[in-house]
Amino acid sequence: MFNTALTWSDLVFLAQGAGMTLTVTAVSVAAGTVLGIIFGVLRFQLGPYWSAPLTFILDLFRSVPLLIQLVLGNAAQSIFKLGWAPFTTSCVVLSLYTAAYCTEIVRGGIGAVPVTTRRAARSLGMTWWQDMRYIVFPLATRVSLPSWIGLTLGVMKDSALVLWLGLIELLRASQILVTRLQEPLFILLICGAFYFIISFPVARLGGYLEKRWSPND
Amino acid sequence: MMQSKAFVLGLAAAAAFTAPAFADKLDDVIASGTLRCAVVLDFPPMGSRDENNNPIGFDVDYCNDLAKALGVTAEIVETPFPERIPALMSGRVDVGVASTSDTLERAKTVGMSIPYFAFNMAVTANDKSGIKSFEDMKGKTVGATAGTFEAIALEKQVKEWGTGEFRPYQTQADVFLALSQGQLDATVSTNTVAQSNVKGGKFAGISVVGNAPFDIDYVALFTNREEYGFINYLNLFVNQQVRTGRYKELYEKWVGGEAPDLTVGGVYR
Amino acid sequence: MFSYTFHWNQAFKALPQMLDGALVTLQIAILSMVIGMACAIALTLFRLSGNRVLGGFATAWVEVARNTPALFQIYMAHFGLGNFGIHLSPYTALLVGIAFNNAGYLAENFRGALKAIPETQTRSARSLGMTPMQAFRYIVMPQMLRIAFLPATNQMVWAILMTSLGVTVGMNTDLAGVTQELNARSFRTFEFFALAAVIYYVIAKIVTMAARLFAARMFRY
Repeated sequence: MFNTALTWSDLVFLAQGAGMTLTVTAVSVAAGTVLGIIFGVLRFQLGPYWSAPLTFILDLFRSVPLLIQLVLGNAAQSIFKLGWAPFTTSCVVLSLYTAAYCTEIVRGGIGAVPVTTRRAARSLGMTWWQDMRYIVFPLATRVSLPSWIGLTLGVMKDSALVLWLGLIELLRASQILVTRLQEPLFILLICGAFYFIISFPVARLGGYLEKRWSPND
Repeated sequence: MMQSKAFVLGLAAAAAFTAPAFADKLDDVIASGTLRCAVVLDFPPMGSRDENNNPIGFDVDYCNDLAKALGVTAEIVETPFPERIPALMSGRVDVGVASTSDTLERAKTVGMSIPYFAFNMAVTANDKSGIKSFEDMKGKTVGATAGTFEAIALEKQVKEWGTGEFRPYQTQADVFLALSQGQLDATVSTNTVAQSNVKGGKFAGISVVGNAPFDIDYVALFTNREEYGFINYLNLFVNQQVRTGRYKELYEKWVGGEAPDLTVGGVYR
Repeated sequence: MFSYTFHWNQAFKALPQMLDGALVTLQIAILSMVIGMACAIALTLFRLSGNRVLGGFATAWVEVARNTPALFQIYMAHFGLGNFGIHLSPYTALLVGIAFNNAGYLAENFRGALKAIPETQTRSARSLGMTPMQAFRYIVMPQMLRIAFLPATNQMVWAILMTSLGVTVGMNTDLAGVTQELNARSFRTFEFFALAAVIYYVIAKIVTMAARLFAARMFRY
């Protein structure tokens, strides 16, 4: 079974694919988190009625398959003649997708901070901004971090779909090698191992943090 | 008041001089000095990559010839099959040299030149399936690359037969992978692709068993639908390629044998 | 500003075809959920059994399902198994891939839910003369399913979204497959996919609401 035509340079090729996966993930998660925090705070501050349009739009990103979102995003950028490269389109769509989930996490995190704590902060003379910065942010982060790690890993795995737009990421790189070498099982197993090695330790870290930081244990 | 009027007039004059209203795509390409071609690079021998990952193939050479004729340099933009049109629409490429079948359905969206190449359809079968001809495919599991000329014809044929199953895969590579694994009993693909995959020796246990009785698949260069000036130029270019013998030369280089006739008897265009 | 003219009527003409596809999508999602749920309960039992081999098997399944992309799992079910001469049709491969994924995530949900059920309950059930299996079946499992119901609803929505990945293994009867085929024929990408997005959204909403109604009926205290 391990009598393979896979060469060292092919492994490097796979590693480059993994690099692309990580780059797309990093960009999307960074942008998505910033957007998610803004939207999350907005949703919390505005209340359910005023934030309804925002809620609806974000809900779309969570109810339509990512594949369809990517294809639509790409078609839209071509119709508006934006001339984006597939990398940009992928990152934009994935960022919005991340933001939609991140908003929920942020909202949940803020909601988990007891109202009494916040009132106490305000009655000590803190401004809204100070309350957010020194009271809500640290407490909400504790609650949200494990889910946020889960989200990051989810986006990393979902980023495999950008191959549809022609980006050579980890899964696409292995498909190219399968085409050339005709050893589908072996190469796919290596590809799976790559994903697993990236994802598993981080998932464990998330589990550990969740255990350690959960408030009621 | 006077001042602002003068300003508006000046603006209008400036606009009239700086932006000639009728610069079309042909002008734009010549002015910019580069011709950007959409080419599919997992479709040998029309487009593929050599060991150093440089684009090669019939379509790549054809794009270079076109650029030379325009007096500009060529830039090959790799596009997967489904990405060809979005790339054109968003202005990332000027022209598609991507083995695109000139169906009437597609001509509603993009502008097609006269045919620059023609494919015959070949049947490739898994040796274990016992398929020896196109008719043997009746009742078997067959597949092709989604959305291609041959896939549409084959799916129609399977429906006509009333038995068997048709499966579209997203890339030509997946079709041949499925075929060599025995997931598919046979496929119909362009003769060039079939020959290059079987000859390549990468896939064990499959062979070309005959021709499919489908119409010849004429493929065209394409650009934006409204760019008549450019389409006109493309038509003449294709004509000149044949006239000067360059078409035959390229065919010999990448495919070999008798270059297919690009005209249809009994009708213009 | 842009020279693209939308051809919406072309998309609307294809609507019946796409709705047929939506039914197939829903069917796969439901089947994969049923199979996934059954597998997840089995995996949970394996983990509780204390048997090293069974427990290891369950853990491996859960970790692989949760740490590799669903697209990879489906691709593997078709082309990976195909290497062994196991030929799953696109439909089956898609179903197997999603069910595998569902089982992994659901088993993890169940584990979280189990933690919330005090062990004293199992012990008192046992001291009432129930076998371990009976205690699990009648005491633990009903509570576990109740706690895990909301995450399971999310998983169901995920399953619907995952069916769209079938196009990569030659699926052409589900909603994404039908849409992609229409698109490849006419190059009218935006119109067809926008319509598909709307249909997916509606399905997801209907499923979520149905699950809420179901939960309200089933889990009354």
